[in-house]
Amino acid sequence: MSSPLELLAELRQSSERRPLETLKLAAPVLNTGAAARAGDDRWLVYEQVFVAAIDDGDMDLAKTVLALLHKQFDGSQRVRRLYGMYNDAAGHPEAAKRLYDEMLAADETNVLASKRLIAQLKAQGHVAEAVGRLVEYVDTHANDFEAWLELAALYLRQHLYPQAAFCLEEVILQQPANHYFHLCYAEINYTMGCLDVALKEYLRVVELSTDNVRGFYGVKLTADRIRELRSRPKKEQPAWIGAAPQPAMLERLAQLATERLVAAYGGAGAAPKRAAEAWLSE
Amino acid sequence: MGGMANGTDQAMFLDPAIRNWVLFPITVIMVLVGVFRHQLTILMAGEPPKPDAKDVRQGKALMRGQILAQNSAYIPAAALAARKQYLCQAYEDGEYLKNKASKDQGPANLMADPKAMEAMMGGMKSQMMGIVPQTLIMGWIQFFFSGFILIKLPFPLGLRFKQMLQSGITTPNMDVRWVSSLSWYFLNLFGLRGVFALILGSDNSADGTRDMAAMGTMGAAGQQPGQPQDFHKQFLSLKDSLAIIYHEWDLANVEQRVLVKYGKQSRLFKSSAE
Repeated sequence: MSSPLELLAELRQSSERRPLETLKLAAPVLNTGAAARAGDDRWLVYEQVFVAAIDDGDMDLAKTVLALLHKQFDGSQRVRRLYGMYNDAAGHPEAAKRLYDEMLAADETNVLASKRLIAQLKAQGHVAEAVGRLVEYVDTHANDFEAWLELAALYLRQHLYPQAAFCLEEVILQQPANHYFHLCYAEINYTMGCLDVALKEYLRVVELSTDNVRGFYGVKLTADRIRELRSRPKKEQPAWIGAAPQPAMLERLAQLATERLVAAYGGAGAAPKRAAEAWLSE
Repeated sequence: MGGMANGTDQAMFLDPAIRNWVLFPITVIMVLVGVFRHQLTILMAGEPPKPDAKDVRQGKALMRGQILAQNSAYIPAAALAARKQYLCQAYEDGEYLKNKASKDQGPANLMADPKAMEAMMGGMKSQMMGIVPQTLIMGWIQFFFSGFILIKLPFPLGLRFKQMLQSGITTPNMDVRWVSSLSWYFLNLFGLRGVFALILGSDNSADGTRDMAAMGTMGAAGQQPGQPQDFHKQFLSLKDSLAIIYHEWDLANVEQRVLVKYGKQSRLFKSSAE
């Protein structure tokens, strides 16, 4: 059994946003004084608890740990950002914006402040402005794949699929072995009707992540649709059809996907299994 | 006499005053100077210069091109072609350069950029701080204690160590185990690194040996840390390597790879479309 401190460290590492769990884990650490014994790690725990408390709406707890952090790191940009987040959460976005602007004026390369400003715009529903700022941001920080991912999500909100695909390509260039990014890219391509690319990317997903259900559903869907397109008259076929796999290969891929999906649902209850089989045998 | 022949029992006695007034003081002073230098370096170092957004953009743009060249296999040909065209053009036009106007002037004038100037001054300051005290101590030892024998090492050594351990003394027959004052200085200079690491932490700037190395290379016109990189040249060379990329999509035969992975096919065939 790992100690709460270790579990908290793991949560920080994976940057998962699970505020309730974080608060539950952190409560004994904060109350029993175990934090003091954690050495320098305790400041990281405080920061983590602060963000979790804000997510949970526990403003009192947030204020307490923020005061601790402020006492230790007076004038730190990282703590100032937390103040901004507190203001955001407490419903004073103007004050927060002023703070972020000040931080940027002091150091225009401050990544935290720029990201917070973009997050503010996004939260207020100014998606177009947020996109503008984020484009500016990735133009400067071209190697921040998380920003590219966020930009892709914003474009998707606006149904700008080619732009989102471009962002995903940047992400894949930087993180080529992450199957989730390939999955997003495949889904965007599927939506745009670029079924040849989508099929290959779905296949890449199931290659990287064995028996990935979403990946295999994609393989099945795309393979069937390409087969259907091939059977249409020449005029209605898209330009890329020549480069797409032959019907025999598509057949085999669809078969493989069906097989693996049925196997994946084998352990599930009767109802989901029946639903899956019904869809697959359509 | 056998004793003179093998030189192991030369009867020589050192005045205890030499130990008290020469051996210990040299060691202690060397340690103190090291600590003093460490503190002085911290005091004078100051804040590292902050890059502005344009510096960051310039560096990241270079990185983006490098990543593209490296991982081009993972994106479709059309995606690569668009990026290649855009980046090559942008690199050639100096789109990402900090000073777009100055792209044809070659390496920027050092004195024109206050930040580069500062970096250069910083490097010089730290170098001077290393060289000056060491030179002073060495002069001091040579002036006061030249010709002193300080200690006798408790183990025998070969003749080749004579130059190292008895510099400043010209007695061909003396046993190598006797160490002269100047040699003791050098032994301290190189040997106190461990002591400094112990009392000042591993990342200290008390160590004198690095400055000795710096002194050696100072005349040479090598790439000094303070010298600005010529980004325009780097962009141009990156453009050249991007232009000749041979693209083969990693997913060209992914269908077969998946079939092999899930046991539907025994091996990969040449043609991707079967």
